Amino acid sequence: MKKKNILIAAVMALFVFCMAGCGSKEKLKIYLPGEYMSDDLIPNFEKKYNVKVDVELFDSNEMMYTKVMAGGKYDVLIPSDYMIERLIKEDYLQKLDTSKLTNYSKIVSDIKKAPYNGYDPEAAYSVPYFWGTVGIVYNSETVPSAEVEGKGFGIMKDTKYAGKIYMYDSERDSFMIAFKDLGYSMNTSDENEIMAAYDWLVELNTTMSPTTVTDEVIDGMAQGRKDLAIVYSGDAAYILSENEKMRYYTPSYGTNVWVDAMVIPQNAANVDLAYKFIDYVISYDAAMSNTEAVGYASVNSDVLAEVTKEGGMYDGNEAYIPRTGYDKDEVFTDNEFLRKKLSELWIKVKASQ
Amino acid sequence: MKQFRKMVYPYLIWSTVMIAVPMLLILLYAFTSEGNTVTRFLFSLKNFKRFLTDKTFLDVLLRSLRIAVETTVICVLLGYPTAYVIAKYTEKVKMRWVLIITLPTWINMLVRTYAWTGILQEDGVINSILGAFGIRPVAFMYTDFAVILGMVYNFLPFMVIQIYTSLTKMDYSLIEAASDLGANPRKCFTKVTLPLSMPGVISGITLVFLPSVSSFCIPRMLGGGSYVMVGTIIESQFLTAGDWNFGSAISLIMAIIIMISMYITRKVDKGEKMEGATQS
Repeated sequence: MKKKNILIAAVMALFVFCMAGCGSKEKLKIYLPGEYMSDDLIPNFEKKYNVKVDVELFDSNEMMYTKVMAGGKYDVLIPSDYMIERLIKEDYLQKLDTSKLTNYSKIVSDIKKAPYNGYDPEAAYSVPYFWGTVGIVYNSETVPSAEVEGKGFGIMKDTKYAGKIYMYDSERDSFMIAFKDLGYSMNTSDENEIMAAYDWLVELNTTMSPTTVTDEVIDGMAQGRKDLAIVYSGDAAYILSENEKMRYYTPSYGTNVWVDAMVIPQNAANVDLAYKFIDYVISYDAAMSNTEAVGYASVNSDVLAEVTKEGGMYDGNEAYIPRTGYDKDEVFTDNEFLRKKLSELWIKVKASQ
Repeated sequence: MKQFRKMVYPYLIWSTVMIAVPMLLILLYAFTSEGNTVTRFLFSLKNFKRFLTDKTFLDVLLRSLRIAVETTVICVLLGYPTAYVIAKYTEKVKMRWVLIITLPTWINMLVRTYAWTGILQEDGVINSILGAFGIRPVAFMYTDFAVILGMVYNFLPFMVIQIYTSLTKMDYSLIEAASDLGANPRKCFTKVTLPLSMPGVISGITLVFLPSVSSFCIPRMLGGGSYVMVGTIIESQFLTAGDWNFGSAISLIMAIIIMISMYITRKVDKGEKMEGATQS
């Protein structure tokens, strides 16, 4: 009998000990895209506030959406503009009090203006994280600049380069280049235009044997494995800094300009810490190490000025600073018809290869 | 024995919660439409119709079955001789070989598959060696070859171990009897060893065919983002498209195909046995 009591006491003690151990630090749970944050940002934040941060990564906004709607709970999410618009519409996000953010005044003013801010015009729900464009990275030794500039995204269908191109494995971005090349808006709801873009992509897949990847494109182009690739500006900035043969081009008929931003869901467990985290990310030091490591354009205006000034890390890098004030560029907006149509067609585009 | 009967209950509860309930949910989702929250039921066959009437999807289905069959056949052809040779050794050496065969499975499958990308890449190990002999880089990655290689590599141990087990359990005196009665070694193998090891081959086929027909991470890593197999479509319906109804319907179609193919394999196995019995 006595033995049993001792055993119970030991188990209880262990349990209490564990509870105390687990509860000693505040916890923050964040959910963000892969390869999208400098490695030292989280450890530095953890040290500064003596907290524990759980990080989860997603491949695409759609994947994140499915997970949070299935009941995933996070304190901070970093989705893209059109997804934030959808989350706002569906009443999933909290309104933010930007006066709690000491570094908020540093946010680059271009992102607060149209067309960039269309997803959250009053900046009531989101704080920008990175911003950029989508363009073509090409090997200037094998692909003449004049040809890229003449054809825009259409060069991805030039059979001279069959087998030498990377496509990006994302329905939004792939359909975007097709819409733009056909002269349509990337936010169209016209079924004929959508089907034309679908045919455009199927033709590309059947004639060009593209390699469809996501983050592998970064290493692939930095190593010069292919001649052409659809790349986000930040990844392009990294590729250009690694391989001097590579160039970046955004078509003259316009491309997608985007903002990824930090938001706090209504069911967040630790809102105060979420504010601290957001404020920390946009602070000078953190934003600096983040943009240096990842290559995307910083939202902190001081950092942006510092890295692009003469002798700065991204001085002369044509991919780093996103194009602003160009009225043919568009942001994605949330459009239910288009969204459903694309997710239905995308798997068929991929299967057509 | 009666007093042990109660011990079955935990297992019953476990299998109900972990196997029966999810299967029922898949069934429910497959035959309904409109959203992932099961608040109202709209019964329809729309999801099945969408898959079975679209040529693109049917092509993907055929491709998945072809890749799985090829993987399984290669695994049998490589696995049987390996198992046969191992089974001939002494006990100590046998154990060593089994250890070597199962050793790779100690490492996570994703890591091992990822290693192949480094080997098969255009500037990878194989192409560097070829380059040293002046051979132009061969595109191994993102092809059927790479996907089948990855699958054979990952699933071969299951085949070898299954066949090996049935070979070692075999009564060796039967072979001695056969040769005493004048059968040459070849006849001994085709008339005695092979039929007796068939159960191992059949369960090996099951263990290789099932994961390869539904695999999505090996095609994703070695076949690239647009190498679509049925597993990839199901995964994308659940994770990105968010259409659980369609995803469930495809899962159900796959489950039925797998059940049918298992049934045929069993039948073939039994048929062979019957034939053997009547001949003798």
